[in-house]
Amino acid sequence: MTNLKVLGVVFGTLAVYTWVANSIPQLESVVPEELSFSADVTESELVAAGQELFRGGGGCLVCHGLPTRAPNLLTDHEGQGTIGQRCATRVPGEDCKTYIYESLTSPMAYVLEGFDPMVFQARVFSGAQIWALVAFLQDQGGTVTVTGADVAVAAEADAAAPAFGGPLTASMEPLEIMRANLCLGCHVLDGEGVATGPPFDGMGDRIDADRIRRSILDPAAEAAEGYEELLGQMPPTVVDLLTARQLEVLVQFLAGQGS
Amino acid sequence: MSDRLSLARGLRRTTLPLLCGGAVVALLALLADPLLAQGYTPRDYGDFPLIGSRAAVWIAAQLHLFFAAFVLGVPMFAVVAELIGMLNKEERFDKLAKEFTRLLLVSYSATAIWGAVLVFVLITLYPRVWGYLAEVFAPSMWVYVGVFFLESFTLYLYYYGWDHLKKGRAKWGHLALGVLLNIWGTIVMVIANSWVTYMMSPPAEVTPDTAPDMVRFWSAFANATWMPINIHRFIANVVFGGAIVGAYAAFRFLNSETEEERAHYDWMGYIGNFVAISALIVLPFAGYYLGREIYEFNQQMGTTMMGGFMSWLWVVQAFLIGVLFLAGNYYLWVGMGRIPGAERFQPYTKYMLVVLVLGVMVWATPRNMIASRDELTAMGGQFHPFLGVLGVMSAKNTAVNLMILTTFLSFLLYGRANKRPTVSWAQRGTTIQAALFVIAAAIVLFYGVYGYFVPAIVRIGFSVYQVLAVLTAICGVMTLNVLMMQGAESRGDIRWGQMPDRAQYALLILAVTFTWLMGLMGFARSGIRQHWHVYEVMRDTSVDAATPALGYASLVISACVLMFLGMVSFIFWVGGLAEKPVISGVGSVPSPELATGD
Repeated sequence: MTNLKVLGVVFGTLAVYTWVANSIPQLESVVPEELSFSADVTESELVAAGQELFRGGGGCLVCHGLPTRAPNLLTDHEGQGTIGQRCATRVPGEDCKTYIYESLTSPMAYVLEGFDPMVFQARVFSGAQIWALVAFLQDQGGTVTVTGADVAVAAEADAAAPAFGGPLTASMEPLEIMRANLCLGCHVLDGEGVATGPPFDGMGDRIDADRIRRSILDPAAEAAEGYEELLGQMPPTVVDLLTARQLEVLVQFLAGQGS
Repeated sequence: MSDRLSLARGLRRTTLPLLCGGAVVALLALLADPLLAQGYTPRDYGDFPLIGSRAAVWIAAQLHLFFAAFVLGVPMFAVVAELIGMLNKEERFDKLAKEFTRLLLVSYSATAIWGAVLVFVLITLYPRVWGYLAEVFAPSMWVYVGVFFLESFTLYLYYYGWDHLKKGRAKWGHLALGVLLNIWGTIVMVIANSWVTYMMSPPAEVTPDTAPDMVRFWSAFANATWMPINIHRFIANVVFGGAIVGAYAAFRFLNSETEEERAHYDWMGYIGNFVAISALIVLPFAGYYLGREIYEFNQQMGTTMMGGFMSWLWVVQAFLIGVLFLAGNYYLWVGMGRIPGAERFQPYTKYMLVVLVLGVMVWATPRNMIASRDELTAMGGQFHPFLGVLGVMSAKNTAVNLMILTTFLSFLLYGRANKRPTVSWAQRGTTIQAALFVIAAAIVLFYGVYGYFVPAIVRIGFSVYQVLAVLTAICGVMTLNVLMMQGAESRGDIRWGQMPDRAQYALLILAVTFTWLMGLMGFARSGIRQHWHVYEVMRDTSVDAATPALGYASLVISACVLMFLGMVSFIFWVGGLAEKPVISGVGSVPSPELATGD
């Protein structure tokens, strides 16, 4: 009898856990399909692909799932509705499609008050993927106006563009290099940028050129004083997007910031 | 004669794992060059009948891991028990350690058998993945086999030398063998962990185009999640070993025929539960460290884990951990019924129960769930208007830290129940201990609430302060307790054996829950790779590339747990046939010194 009770407890416990696990929503992680849209892509195909990116590979929920870090796009924001409803009213004269597309490809362009600039690596996505995201976001309460023609143009541009990893700008002007690489998304220089990481102002007084160079080449190696908790937050890929000359321009420019 | 029989038994036990290891090596050699020389191209995947390749490799890996955790956790348990026995000159601890080391012998065979099954399954069903990993990690695989041999032979020396190395310095030598056994076991574990964690977090320089022979060995070995997994698994193995010991004792207790047996297994169950829950208290910290490293390695992977398709898994995990905390504390509270003097603490248990239940509820509150538009509309937004506030890490960290403090308090009360301190500063010491609890709880609550008013990046750092506050309180209170209980008077001996049966069932539930939770977390760790064998390096192109939902996973996990418990029961039965456990000296003795730190 005792052994039967023991068996009952074991089987009962397992049955409860199995039942609980089967009672919750069953979500399977499906394998994402490669996006290879042609000009006759349908609206629903774009929206579905955009949704998958938004919830998965795009990593959008990292910030947009946390209202404290970025505005929620799928729900109301300050009484203006979902992103599909509010996108056309954000910038006078700019329609919804243009606004969302610009927001994705130029994250510094429209920073919502009270939030930091979006750290979205648009360059790692194909043009078709960007348009799929736009279509999905438009679909959140609005009308999808992305067309197959948009995708076709983007695909042509992708084919002509250099492979990922090339420099984002050919400029040798420090500020342009910084803006192109979103450095001011986390660092402040002369009142421009966001004070998340160490300010560029006065950097030359705090650390020397070698240390600055090391920090760009391997940002996770050493924490800036007073910013220890941010160690590992700076993208290590920045250096892949600079030419050697641009890197040196930046290093010398930052080393010269200060008294 | 008995020595010869013992030797023969030992040789049989020795031979099986070695044969398994040798068979694997031989098969690998047979599969190698000749076929490749003829231009043979190996297939990417094989098929397994009925249950499919994924379930086959899943079951093989899970059962190997269960046994591996057992044979790594129990030696830690055995060495600590032996050391306590030596320091306190209490033979019952020594006998307890030996009893479990005996069970290890058969368990090693099972571990090796399932390891061999796993390798065969990988070779036959996932040859491309196996080939890739073998090429990257070949040197560590050779070392692994070598250390496994050392571990096995050290175990045989440790067990069979027990009676020969019993006195004086020889006993310390024997203890050193136990420590060495643990060192070998830990090395084996960290080597295997590197293979698994490489699949999760390969170094940044490794891309799909990187040939495996171009991958730098140490960079692959010491990858981003390797050390967090090492720490997490090390602690979890202690928990697991303690839980299985507790379940073994509970089963024996329920089937005991004499008072002496009941007393012995009651005591053994207490020790097992003590070890399991003590290690469980620090496990969430290790888990948090692991989670944080996963986020640092790849935010998308972190999001998949916590906010993506696995988001519901954490609700189930919270439910299981709630069961663990409640069952562990319940066992202690029931156990206080057999300790003279414990009555004065029993009124507090209801408050502790309230803290634990509220903590579990907060921990189980979902936050960042995948929801359909209809569900979002019904909820009034991405987050539930009320419960969403409790779903953030600020609330969850606060809840789990308070649960840990409460569980520690349970242990403290249990250990002090039949003690009356005699030191002159006892009253002041108790007041300081209470103050440490209150201060730690206040710090945890303060940062929990303050976390709602600061940016996420600042909030993440608060968890460190919460953890430090709790650990400081635990260390401070324990230190004071050890000093305060020096020369304490006894209010009466613990009445070992006078424990209700329901407490034994709590121990059984603890063991089943720990085992199931290990399976669940294994699914989480492996599943966050999604459709990648090696994350963003080697894509899974098999028919099983999609990661299954939790319902299916739970069926596989339950099947693995049943198989494991069935085989462990068989091992315990076989171990009982070989040599009867020694039941002695536990009938009427003071509380185990472990509990009081005395």
